[in-house]
Amino acid sequence: MICRHLFLAAAAALIPLGLATPAQSQSQAHQVDAKHGAVIAAQGTAAGAPACAQCHAFSGGSDASGAFPRIAGQSAYYLSGQLSDFASGVRESAIMSPVAKALSPDEIADVAAYYAGVKAPFLPLEAAGPALIKQGEGLAKVGDAARKVQSCDNCHGPGGAGEPPVIPYLAGQYAHYIEFTLQMWQKGFRKNSPDAMAVIAKKLDDQEVAAVAAYYQQVHSPLEGTESQGATSPGKD
Amino acid sequence: MPTRLKPVDVVTIGVGLTGSMAGLELAETGLKVVGLERGGGRDTVPDFQSPAIHDELRFSIRKGMMQDNTKVAVTFRNDSHQTALPIRRWESFLPGQGLGGSFVHWNGQSFRFQVADFIYRTHILERYGKKFLDACGPELTIQDWGVTYDELEAHYDRFDYLCGVSGKAGNIKGQIQPGGNPFEAPRSREYPNPPMKETYFGAIFRKGAESLGYHPYPQPSANLSRPYTNPLGLKLEQCVFCGFCERYACEHYAKASPQTVILPVLLKNPNYELRTNCEVLRINLDSTRKKATGVTYVDAAGQEFEQPADLVLITAFPLNNVRTLLLSGIGEPYDPKTAKGVVGRNYTYQTTGGPTVFMDESINVNPFMSSGAPGTMIDDFGGDNFDHSNLGFIGGQYVGSIMTNGRPIEFHPTPPGTPKWGLEWKRAVAHHYNHTILIQQHGTSTASRLNYLDLDPTYKDAWGQPLLRMTFDFPDNDIRMSQYIADKVVEIGRAMGGKTVVRGGTKRPYTTTVYQSTHNCGGAIMGDDPKTSVVNRYLQCWEVPNVFSLGASAFPQNGTYNYSLTIGATTLWALDAIKTKYLKAPGPLVPA
Repeated sequence: MICRHLFLAAAAALIPLGLATPAQSQSQAHQVDAKHGAVIAAQGTAAGAPACAQCHAFSGGSDASGAFPRIAGQSAYYLSGQLSDFASGVRESAIMSPVAKALSPDEIADVAAYYAGVKAPFLPLEAAGPALIKQGEGLAKVGDAARKVQSCDNCHGPGGAGEPPVIPYLAGQYAHYIEFTLQMWQKGFRKNSPDAMAVIAKKLDDQEVAAVAAYYQQVHSPLEGTESQGATSPGKD
Repeated sequence: MPTRLKPVDVVTIGVGLTGSMAGLELAETGLKVVGLERGGGRDTVPDFQSPAIHDELRFSIRKGMMQDNTKVAVTFRNDSHQTALPIRRWESFLPGQGLGGSFVHWNGQSFRFQVADFIYRTHILERYGKKFLDACGPELTIQDWGVTYDELEAHYDRFDYLCGVSGKAGNIKGQIQPGGNPFEAPRSREYPNPPMKETYFGAIFRKGAESLGYHPYPQPSANLSRPYTNPLGLKLEQCVFCGFCERYACEHYAKASPQTVILPVLLKNPNYELRTNCEVLRINLDSTRKKATGVTYVDAAGQEFEQPADLVLITAFPLNNVRTLLLSGIGEPYDPKTAKGVVGRNYTYQTTGGPTVFMDESINVNPFMSSGAPGTMIDDFGGDNFDHSNLGFIGGQYVGSIMTNGRPIEFHPTPPGTPKWGLEWKRAVAHHYNHTILIQQHGTSTASRLNYLDLDPTYKDAWGQPLLRMTFDFPDNDIRMSQYIADKVVEIGRAMGGKTVVRGGTKRPYTTTVYQSTHNCGGAIMGDDPKTSVVNRYLQCWEVPNVFSLGASAFPQNGTYNYSLTIGATTLWALDAIKTKYLKAPGPLVPA
C-alpha cells in the first residue's frame, strides 16, 4: 500500500524520459551486484558510509535491542526505495540519512539486493503480555471497523508476510522498531507514504501502537529464518 | 397459507443501492420500513477481508457475488423466432446478490448522463429531423425521460457527495474547466474529491489522444483519492490501487457501496428492519388491482410470509424489477407483434468493445496496479457530442484507457495469430502481459421494438415461477455507431505508439458468453405517457400508484455512460417526490 501511489506518480513522471521502471534510479548501465552489496554491508564505502552490519548485522537480523529494524529478505525494491528516501529527506532519520547520502545510487541498488537475498534467524525475545498481543492481533487481522481502521494484513499480507516488492513484511519485525516508525508517521517525520500509513498511524493511540508492534514481533513462519543462504540472485524485483 | 405479518408503512424489494437509499430517506421520516433482500447479509469486516476477498477463481470466474442462477436464472435469445435458453453461467452481465447488491461489486465508474440524454427523442428530432431518425432504423423507439437534467442536477450533486466521487469538473455552471471533460453537463460545483492519480497506461493514452486534438480527462471514480467523510458522517479511506475492484468488494473502505456510505446509518435507525435471505415472490394487489397490499416472500427456511405494506418500492436489479412487475400482474406486458403494452418494452444494454494496443517491450504497463475507475478518457465521441448529420446513425461512446486489473486468470492479451493454447500461447502471454494497453469504447444502446423482456413460457425458478426471458440483439444503428468510432480509436492506439493495434467495435449477434457490461436498462421505463411507459416521471407505476419501481429499469434507453450515478440521482429524485408530495397526498403524482 505504502508505495503504490508513489510508484504510480513516479511512473507517470518518468514517461517523458522513456524509462521502463521507476525503481531504477541507479545508472542504466549498472548491473546490480549483490556480492558488491555484501562488501558494502560488511565494510562500508570509501566515501564514508559505515558498514551496515554494525547495526543490521551481516545477516540483516539486526540486534535484539529492537532499535534497528530487521531487513533480511525485505524486497530490494523496498530497501532501495527507503534508502533513496533517507537520502532525499522524504524520510528523516539522524542515523540513516547521512548513511544513505554517502551511498551512490548504484551502491544502494547493490546493498539492497544483498539484504533482499539473505535470511536471518529470529532471536529469542521477551514476549509482551498475552492481552496486548491479542489486542494487536485483532487490529492486525481485522482492524477496527467502527473507526475505519483497515486491518494491517489487508495490505501487508496474511500474518504480515509482506506483499513484495512494494509492501514490506511486518512478521518478526522488532516491536520497538514498529512502534517507533508508527510514531514517526504520527509526528510527520516519515513522509514517504503520507496518504496511506500516516492516516492510519494517526488513528491509533499509544496502546494500540504497542499492541500491533507486540503482535507482529512474535509472528514468524517456522519455515523462515532458520538458515542463512547468503546472497542469492539479485534483480528479482 | 403464508403467515400474515404485522403491517408496515414501506417495504423495499431488494436492499442494494436503491433499496438502502429508500430505506434511509423514508425511515428518517418516521415511517416503518422493511427491507427484503434475497441474498445474505455482509459487511467489510469480516466478509470483504484480504486475502480471501482477492480470490480470483471464486469471485471473477465462479461469480461468487452474483445472483444465484441455480435458483433464478434469466433465459435469453437474440430474436423472437428463437427459443430462449437459461443463462447458466453469468458472463455478459453480472447481477449482484446479497446486502448492498451490485453496488458492492461495481467498479466505481461515476459518470453523469448529458442534458440531451434525458430529452433524447426531442433532441435528435430537433437537430436532425424525423427523416434522419427513421433512416437510422424504423425499429428504433427512443423516448424522452419525462425528467430533465436540470431537475436532476441537485440529486446528482447529492449523490456525488454521498459517495465522495473523485474527479475533475469540466463544466461548472456553464464555465468550462481546464483538466475536466469539456463535454459534460454543467454541474453546480466541483467534485467532492480530487481525481485519482493517473496511471501509466492512462498517461500514454492522454498523450496519444492529445496529439490527435481530443480532450482527455480523468475518469470520475467512486474509489476515493483521499480520506473523506460523507454528509452522513461516514468515513471512507483512500484507494490503494489493489487491482481487485469490479467483481469484488473493497476491504479498504475506499469504494462507495451501501456498506460504506449508507448502511451504517440506516441499520441504526429503529424504524428500519432488514430481512436477508428473503425471496419476494410477488406484490399483492387488492381486488381493484389498482392498489398494492404488500408482498409475499419466502425466507431461508422455506416459510412463506405475507408482509402487508402501504407503499411498495421495487428496488432490485433492473431485470428483476421488470420480472417482479410481470409476476405481480402490474402493467400491461409488452407485445412486440402489436407494439402494444409497456412492461418489458425498451430493454436496452450498452455497446462495448475497443482495441487492444500491443506496445513495445520497453513500456512496462503494470496493469495489476489499478482501481475500478482508473481511466483517462475522452468524450469527443460520446452521445451527440459530434455531428451525426452525414453518419447515418445516432448515439456515441466514450473512449478511454480503463484497465481495471491485470489479474492472472482473466488478463492475458495475445496478438492475432497466436495459438489459443500450448507452449506458443504461454510464451506470447508472458511476452505481452506487461506491455499491452486496452482501450474501452463504451456507449449508447438504442431502444428497438424488437428487444424486450417477458416471462419465459418454459423455464421456472426454484419456487416454480417463470424466469425472465430476454430477447435482444444490437440494432444495426448501434453497430454502425460502434464501428465508426472503432476506426477513430485505432488511430489513437497508433498515436500511443502501439506496435500492433487490434481494432475493436461492437458486432452482431450479441452474445451472453462474453463479459460486456452490467448496465442492463429499461423494461419498466419512465415517461409522460402511460401508453409508452410503466412509471411516471417520479418512477411511480401508472397503474398502481402505491408501487414505485426505482433504478435503471426506468431508463427509456441507455445513455453513453455507465449508469450508476444516474440511478442514484433518479432514486433521490423519486424519493424526494415521495417525501414531499406522495406522503402528503397518497395517490397518482401525475394524472394519467
